[in-house]
Amino acid sequence: MAKRPPIGNRIRELREMHDQMSQAALAEAIGVTRQTVIAMEQGRYSPSLESAFRISRVFGVGVEDVFSWEEGQDN
Amino acid sequence: MSFREKSAWAMVFILISAGAYYFNKVFAISQALGQTAPPIIGLVIFYVVMVVIASIVIMSIIAGASGKEANAPVDEREKVILDKAGHWSGYVLAIGVFTGMMNFGVTSDGNLLFHICFASLMVSQIAEYGFQILLFRRGV
Repeated sequence: MAKRPPIGNRIRELREMHDQMSQAALAEAIGVTRQTVIAMEQGRYSPSLESAFRISRVFGVGVEDVFSWEEGQDN
Repeated sequence: MSFREKSAWAMVFILISAGAYYFNKVFAISQALGQTAPPIIGLVIFYVVMVVIASIVIMSIIAGASGKEANAPVDEREKVILDKAGHWSGYVLAIGVFTGMMNFGVTSDGNLLFHICFASLMVSQIAEYGFQILLFRRGV
């Protein structure tokens, strides 16, 4: 298993708070595939800075409200 | 399973099948001759044409079943996966060619050098798609 990036996110939670937005709808909104959104939610992929901003803009929150640095995993 | 992962599986299947056919012929000819078969350009061309035709047919079927996803450009995660897989498969090719060169240094068999280099090319292509599948599933 690849080492997980030390970045957590609340994408799934924010999707559910936004009228149960689907992974496909979020993927289309930010210009990636649904599999990439799934990988982000599962912590298997850290998005680029551009995609991180796009996600936060879709949800109308700041980047740090979506992504967080997970202490203890960065060693 | 994403369109690109299905495509990678299809290419692994096509390349293994075509490679097995090619080397089955080469082994048969080598056995008949009692020595390593010389490069058979006609067979190489046949192999390439078969791989191209099979790829077009199978990819068309997969694309037809995948709908809009098949026309979507490569996204940022897929680009990283394709780049890494291409990078790693380059090592496979290099190891194969180097092995062929070392073998030539010992046996001076130019025909065998050709077959080892061609096999390395095939294996590196299969490895590239194999690495893509691995990275699609495991994460980057």
